[in-house]
Amino acid sequence: MTSAVDAVTAAGDIDAKKSPAFPGESSMWFFIIGDLLIFGVYFVAYMIYRGQNQALFLHSQQFLNQGIGATNTVVLLTSSLFVALGTQAARVGKSVDAYRLFGLAVVFGVLFPFLKMVEWIPKISIGITPGENLFFMYYYVMTGLHLCHVLLGLVILGFVMRNVRVSKERSHPPNIKFVETGAMYWHMVDLLWLVLFALFYLMR
Amino acid sequence: MSGGMSGSVTANETCTAQQGVPWYKNKKLDQWICFWSVPFFYNLFGLVFVPLSWMMPPRSPANATPEIVAFMQSPNLLIACTILTLALGLSAVGNALYACQMKRMSVSPVFRFAFMAGAMVGAIVGCLFPMFCFGLGAFRPGYDPEILALLYDFGYLSFIGCLGCFFLNWSLLALAILLDKNNTLPKWLGYYTIWQSVTELFAATVWIAKSGPFAWDGLLAFWFNMVLYVPWQMIVYICVYRAIKNQPEHELANAQPVPRAAYA
Repeated sequence: MTSAVDAVTAAGDIDAKKSPAFPGESSMWFFIIGDLLIFGVYFVAYMIYRGQNQALFLHSQQFLNQGIGATNTVVLLTSSLFVALGTQAARVGKSVDAYRLFGLAVVFGVLFPFLKMVEWIPKISIGITPGENLFFMYYYVMTGLHLCHVLLGLVILGFVMRNVRVSKERSHPPNIKFVETGAMYWHMVDLLWLVLFALFYLMR
Repeated sequence: MSGGMSGSVTANETCTAQQGVPWYKNKKLDQWICFWSVPFFYNLFGLVFVPLSWMMPPRSPANATPEIVAFMQSPNLLIACTILTLALGLSAVGNALYACQMKRMSVSPVFRFAFMAGAMVGAIVGCLFPMFCFGLGAFRPGYDPEILALLYDFGYLSFIGCLGCFFLNWSLLALAILLDKNNTLPKWLGYYTIWQSVTELFAATVWIAKSGPFAWDGLLAFWFNMVLYVPWQMIVYICVYRAIKNQPEHELANAQPVPRAAYA
């Protein structure tokens, strides 16, 4: 995995010379835009099927735990705030601050899958599984897909922290392109959750 | 097989024309044969699955027994299964090509070994099992309708529900592309491959849902995956084509005869 960071870092250096106007690496922009388009298709499909079975979807929605959903939203937004502050600190070369801020972001980020399990396990244990109905199939598949993104994001944030720590130890500025790329990904995860939360928990 | 061979001939003629080397002396001939077997293989599969047997697009999981029996015992399905039995091995040739190119990447050999193992499992559940199920219906006309319905379910679930097993395969390829410092394949292809492998996971739902978007003929479990998969498969091959073309000859891994090596 070490080589991943170095490869990405090397690619970032090249990109930095080509396009200074965009934060992060261009290949990550490609990934984010495509990922948002794919989720967009799922969201539109959800709305269409919801329109066809509105009563079923509204009834099933009542079984979701809005408290945990809202807490998870706050958790992710807070984590994203720390990522933004950490990126800002890294930009001005404050590696020590950046390292702490990214550490806080990871702490909040880890809470998300934990709370997700607190939400899922009681549901599954009383028999509300993806086979229950179309709403719950959507619910488990979409939030599960998002959870995969969160877990990948935590790994990426780990690499960002490693990058910042190395720069702190060798007292040179952190690789900004790489830090920005990780931050971009984490904000995308955040954005997707906001839409998921609205569609599944809030929409009436 | 003959189609694949003639394909490789034309490719090598165009590729080596400027070098003045006859195609059969091209040092990458092995890879080009593998490469051109792939479009041949997929075109054959396309013909067999769609216009010949109408196995694809998938028939409804909610079909009534008489419809299932009529499909399972149709003569076209018999011809389709015969062709598949003969051509199935070609998938191994195509996968060998991926492994060849993955060998050039600056990543652990674990990636290509696991990739090959995953591809083998994929070919067994994704192709061999359905072929046996549909073949049993077509070649053994005496079965009860209930048994044919079971084979029909088994065949389709194995064919579409196994897409999850390609998840590992494509994830390994994606990771290898992203970790590779030699830029054997472009980085954006690595990301596209991640979408491809993640959407494969949606096919897991076909085991639960019998109708709607998550059934094996559904909008999300099948059609949207196809929208991502078909262009991906083509793009991957264009990228692999360029990778073979740009591969320096000194990098080819064929073992050379060792002078005076009389092992026998």
